[in-house]
Amino acid sequence: MTDFIQFRSITKTFGGVTALRGVSLSIGRGECHGLMGENGAGKSTLGKVLAGIHKPSEGDVVIDGTPHIFSSPREALSAGVAMVHQELAFCPDLSVAENLCMGHYPRRFGLLIDREAMADRARTLLNAIGVNLDVWQPMRDLSTAQEQLVQIAAAVGTNPRIIVFDEPTSSLAEPDVHNLFRLIDDLRQRGITTIYVSHRMPELFRLCDKISVLRDGQYVGTLGKDEMTHDAVVRLMIGRSVEEYFPHHLAGSPGDTVLRVRNLTSPGLFRDISFDIRAGEIIGFAGLVGAGRSEVAKALFGLDPRVTGTVEVNGQPLQLQSIQASMRAGIGLVPEDRKRQGAVLGMPCRANISMAVLDRVNRAGFLNDAKEKQIAANFFDQLHVKASSLEAPVNSLSGGNQQKIVLAKWLARGGRLLIVDEPTRGVDVGAKAAIHALIDGLAWKGIAVMLISSELPEVINLSTRVIVMRDGHIAGELARAQATQEAILRLMAGVEMAS
Amino acid sequence: MQEFGLTLVVLALGIIMSVYGYYDAAAGRPNTFLNFDNLIDGIATPMSYYAIMAVGLTIVIITGGIDISAGSIMALSALGTAAALQLFPSTAPAWQVLPVAVVVALGIGLLCGTINGGLIVGLNLHPFIVTLGTMSIFRGLANVLPPEKTLPSAGKRLPAAFTTEFMRVEVWGIQPMPLIIMLLCVALGWVYLRMMVVGRETYAVGGNEEAARFSGLPVAWIKLRTYAIAGLAAGLAGLVSVGRFGTASTSTGTGYELTVIAAAVVGGASLLGGRGTALGALLGTLVIALIENGIIVMRFAQEYRLIIIGMAIIVAVSFDRLSVYLSARRGNQRA
Ligand SMILES: Nc1ncnc2c1ncn2[C@@H]1O[C@H](COP(=O)(O)OP(=O)(O)OP(=O)(O)O)[C@@H](O)[C@H]1O
Ligand SMILES: [Mg+2]
Repeated sequence: MTDFIQFRSITKTFGGVTALRGVSLSIGRGECHGLMGENGAGKSTLGKVLAGIHKPSEGDVVIDGTPHIFSSPREALSAGVAMVHQELAFCPDLSVAENLCMGHYPRRFGLLIDREAMADRARTLLNAIGVNLDVWQPMRDLSTAQEQLVQIAAAVGTNPRIIVFDEPTSSLAEPDVHNLFRLIDDLRQRGITTIYVSHRMPELFRLCDKISVLRDGQYVGTLGKDEMTHDAVVRLMIGRSVEEYFPHHLAGSPGDTVLRVRNLTSPGLFRDISFDIRAGEIIGFAGLVGAGRSEVAKALFGLDPRVTGTVEVNGQPLQLQSIQASMRAGIGLVPEDRKRQGAVLGMPCRANISMAVLDRVNRAGFLNDAKEKQIAANFFDQLHVKASSLEAPVNSLSGGNQQKIVLAKWLARGGRLLIVDEPTRGVDVGAKAAIHALIDGLAWKGIAVMLISSELPEVINLSTRVIVMRDGHIAGELARAQATQEAILRLMAGVEMAS
Repeated sequence: MQEFGLTLVVLALGIIMSVYGYYDAAAGRPNTFLNFDNLIDGIATPMSYYAIMAVGLTIVIITGGIDISAGSIMALSALGTAAALQLFPSTAPAWQVLPVAVVVALGIGLLCGTINGGLIVGLNLHPFIVTLGTMSIFRGLANVLPPEKTLPSAGKRLPAAFTTEFMRVEVWGIQPMPLIIMLLCVALGWVYLRMMVVGRETYAVGGNEEAARFSGLPVAWIKLRTYAIAGLAAGLAGLVSVGRFGTASTSTGTGYELTVIAAAVVGGASLLGGRGTALGALLGTLVIALIENGIIVMRFAQEYRLIIIGMAIIVAVSFDRLSVYLSARRGNQRA
């Protein structure tokens, strides 16, 4: 077998932090090569070295026999490398079409932008991956999932020889994931080499010919198709095995009703939503992206001025008018979009974690530094955050570690009802188990949890009950015993698929 | 660190000018730059108004906002204080005069700042537009309201208890009061931003307003109070000015807003929000004050003043850009 791509002892340092340490790795032509490792292991960094975003401190990459040290994405692109990034980067005020054609706008008379041609091109790119979108809407209005799809379309559209997918499915829903898999199969048939970074093992097992594992910036090994097992991968990743977490809270009996929602309606988003959550329960919300789950969550958190219906928390009516009112009632929300709504990226981890508990570290107007540090350090520990220190700005952390910071902020606050929207997006297996344990621990302590997740195994494993939403209404509710993958999927897709 | 770099710049400027002053001085005469009179009267006192306002403005800029009405607020405050104090006989005792002066000056500043903040938050308008409007309105009020162009009116004098015995009081041959007030402001600003919860909230709103809102921070109130503080600082600057000169005029503080913005930006406040410190505001003002003083000491034609200040601003901002660019290169599109 020919080694199409060869990383030769790549080292990459950021200031004092060493992200990659002499990584050597070979990838065959036309292969789909998985890349795994804990959060902060260096997967994204390795991808970015290949895509020309980071120039390696040492080492080079041989592609098809030619050694390269790319110092810009443009160079990498001209060598046929494209990358779908984990942290999405677009111009939010430009339209989908403009974003997709950026850099090579179709011209008319050499000067004017040919809007029709641009729209056509954008549609072609999107159709190539099976997506239908209004190409003139501004990027800002897209959901995270749609943004992700546009990213993928943009990368595939450059006609590359090599594509790096960095956690492409972390914000996609089932059907889109299927489309993506078909696309990758198709790419492979066309001889295009793909590098696929993910924390979701079933995906990797399904797609990849080989899986390589990084640990602490070092290459630890590669598994062939026949050696790929959950255990083997985890062992390479963290040096020990991690059991699937079995929730504790199921042993306790649920307490009083904490949240009572009746006929919650918001025009155009969702309608007639009624459900209860009792103390100690974890209610999983499943549904396609756009089914209205996050919208319900935001409304409960006081973010939807047009919402109608009644909500009671611990028997007290709650006016859904402001975040402050909801928080006073004891509701917390871990938002789905960590970059926009979750973290203040330029601020240190410590300051981000304490953001929702500033009242508790407030001593006569002054910040109680010691207490703040202690809270932050505590969650750094529990969630295994990998960062150079508590003072590291959040944007210097890897994606999964950023997610942990956002989660820590709300775990620190506690309360009566915690709504978590995609709590483990982009988080590695070990940390995922830790987060599951923490959420479970909250429920065990009597906190009601509303869990929104696109990862069915997560919903199924953690939830006491599962509520499935479709097109803005509740399509059905399943007790834990009935909440199988098929049952949920059937409700998610509606009657069309039930037959 | 930003402050460290600025301190180096200040030192470098100081050394260059000291050396120049040493050779410039006639035999047996003191160094034309490095002497107490020049350092206090030529640099520290004139820069005090700027620095006081720069601290207030830095807090605004940290939230991602801007306030260009500071000079006009300063004029209103100075005129109001003069108008109130000229009602007293010029020999009125300090315990009568000082509280009135402080309350009037700070009251006017606070009121104007609150109006700015109220409009920005209440109408959800861009702070540049709002303060562009109020800059003009406040200046207009300063032209219209006082009976004369200069206060106190002809034949009257402000009480000595406020002027010669307070703001211009001499200790060991220098007049330290403006300097002391300035340092006090910087210290307060530092405590506010670094040690207090309100300061943390300020950085959070500037760093990512939506995330701050999603964390339950009262974003509207945080912004409102920021503009109120900037107004308060401008009011205090007016107080210092009227005390030092013994008069206020309709043109007091004209054009100061630009110097103040320059000082804040040179001091490391990022117009994108989320970054800036009180100490930076002081150092930024000091850099500008040193350059201005250098122009005088080195006897450059005054006409070059604007050009040199302008270049200093651009150099400072491009450093800012450069550092953002470099960290972006290191961190890729995480920022
Ligand atoms: N710009 C940067 N500045 C400082 N440190 C950085 C920067 N980018 C990455 N790092 C560090 O490099 C290490 C590897 O990061 P990388 O993003 O490659 O991890 P990853 O394997 O992709 O993790 P995840 O699964 O969370 O996405 C981390 O410790 C991270 O903190
Ligand atoms: Mg990554």
